[in-house]
Formats: sequence, structure tokens, C-alpha cells
Amino acid sequence: MKQFLADLHIHTALSPCAAEDMTPPAIVQAALDSGLAMIAICDHNSAGNTAATQAAAGDRLCALAGMELTTAEEVHVLGLFPDAARASAAAAEVVATLPQADAAYYERFGPQQLMGADGRVLGFERRMLAVASTFELSAAIALIHRHDGVAVAAHVNRPSFSVVSQLGMFPPDAGFDAIEVFSAPGFPSRAAEFAGHGLAVLSSSDSHFLGDVGSACSVFEMRAPTFEELRLAMRGADGRAVRCA
Amino acid sequence: MTVTELAAKLELRPLTPQVTPSTEQVTGGYVSDLLSDVLANAPRGGVLVTVQVHLNVIAVAVHAELAGVIFALDRVPDESVRAKAVAEGIPLYTTKESAFDVAGRLYEFGLRGPRA
Ligand SMILES: [Zn+2]
Ligand SMILES: [Zn+2]
Repeated sequence: MKQFLADLHIHTALSPCAAEDMTPPAIVQAALDSGLAMIAICDHNSAGNTAATQAAAGDRLCALAGMELTTAEEVHVLGLFPDAARASAAAAEVVATLPQADAAYYERFGPQQLMGADGRVLGFERRMLAVASTFELSAAIALIHRHDGVAVAAHVNRPSFSVVSQLGMFPPDAGFDAIEVFSAPGFPSRAAEFAGHGLAVLSSSDSHFLGDVGSACSVFEMRAPTFEELRLAMRGADGRAVRCA
Repeated sequence: MTVTELAAKLELRPLTPQVTPSTEQVTGGYVSDLLSDVLANAPRGGVLVTVQVHLNVIAVAVHAELAGVIFALDRVPDESVRAKAVAEGIPLYTTKESAFDVAGRLYEFGLRGPRA
């Protein structure tokens, strides 16, 4: 087994409120500079920049295709998928439930840029990615699993948009594959407390700005930085493991 | 006023007729869809008005010792949620009114929030 550093919650400029310099090549470079072997692109309710980031990464870095889904209860759930095609298929079902964006929305939330591997803007997402989908938590997790992904309870230690803030307590039989704690200086991660649920606990940066990429990460002990190895490590299979860095 | 009297006055539709509500006086009311907030702030023996229909509503109602839960805007939780409520003895109701209007009527009946 080898050790790999992974920051599995990074937004691109597609996300409302993420910086416009969060382009695929800039994120890849920031991740390499931070010594990461693995990242996951998780934009709000979309996977529109995942393929571009994978192309920008080439074989220098494993850039997983993900999505940060907002459920009807306003719980943030990360879906991490085997490839960009399956991430996009899952995201298409989510985005279909969101309202069309109007001029006032773009003014408030930014342009929601779809980008190429070189960082050039190719288009704009037309739905309101900032709002909640109509998927309830159990349906959201089922959607992620149906597209062969793993479902991660996002930033459970945060006071908003977490499964704990919205639902009062961690739902033990919701079907999550892992729990993510948000880590930042001076912010209690409570990782030990959440480890009590018997699921892998990850630490991620939830980066919306380039300077935050890799500011928190997880250590995966596995054979190679791939999605399948990550899935096995989350289960602790055959000596694989994951812990907060 | 008991939960049963209150439900009759507000013409709430019972979702758990199998449950015999408490005959104690309702102590107050609370409106929130954030269950962490309900856990922290709802008055014991009070009623919760919410549009949150996740199963955890029942667990939180038990922890917070609520007298009952009123779902606004015609929200009806899944059968699994209603079954859990029956098992825990928490009466559930639904109404077409908004949470704001339900709360206003509860206030008229003399119910108050935890910090009033
Ligand atoms: Zn989030
Ligand atoms: Zn995020």
C-alpha cells in the first residue's frame, strides 16, 4: 500500500460564489503545488467542469468527477463517480429540477462558467445551481448509487447545509458511504465524534478560492490513486484505509 | 388546551389516528425546518410547525418531548415516517395553511415560543 493525499471537495468557477479564477488548469496546478495525488471537482448541482478538469490533469493527478448535490432538505451531499460521463448523467437529473436563472440571479450569483481544459469559457449554466433540487435525501443517495457513485455527507460539522444542521442528527441508515468534515484553522472538525458512525471520515477544503486548494485533505492508504481504489479504501478493504490528514 | 382540542380548532387533518395524544396542556409552539434548531430550542410539551418531512422529525420530536407535529402547506411525510410516529406515540397533523398562518392562530390561542 502507498499513501496518497486527496482533497475531495473543490469547486470551479461554475459554482455560484466560487472565484472566477477557479479554472480547470489553475486548480490542477494548485493541487500539484500542494502535493495532492487526488482531487474531486464538486460543483453545486452540476458536473459540467469535471471532464475539462480531468483533461487538464492528464496523468499528473487523479481528478475525480463529482457533484455537490443540494437535497430538498437543503442538505449538501457529495457524489463521487467513476467517470465524468456518469457524473454528468447524475447531474443532468438534478439540474432538471432547478429553476431557470434570470438576469437578477446572474447578477447576484455570478455567471456559472462552463470551461475547457485550457480554462477558456465555453458557455454558461442556465439553471439556478444555487438552489435546492427536489431530490429528498434518500432519493439523492439512491441517484448517486444508481450512477455507480459514492455518497459523502458533506461538511457535517458546519452549522448550515449539513445533514446534522438540517436533520438534527446524523441519520445512520441513510446509505452514506463516507462522512466529510470541514477543516480550517480554529474550526472544530469533530472527526473523532463522527467516526462513531462506522463510516470513513474524510477531511476536505471545500475550496471556492485557489488559495484554499489542499488546505485540508485526507490520507488514503491504497494501491493507486483511482476511483475504484478509493471506493475500496472507504470500506477499509484488504488493508486499505483513509483518515483525516 | 390539549393537542386534540387544538387540532379540532385548527381543523388539522390527523395523519396518525392510531396515536392517542397526550391529555396534558400544550406548553407552547415552535416553527422551524432546521431540526438542529428544533432540538436546541423547541419547548418541551409544545407543538412544532414545519415543512420538514424527513424521518428525523420523529426522532427529534421524541428527544424534544414534543406534544405533536403540524406539517404546513399540505405536506405529508412518507408512510415510513408516519409508522415511526405511531411507534413513538407522536401525533402528526397536516394542514393546507402556511406555517406563518398556523403559528398566528396558535398565538391567538395563547401559545407562546420558548423565549416569550
Ligand atoms: Zn456545501
Ligand atoms: Zn462545497
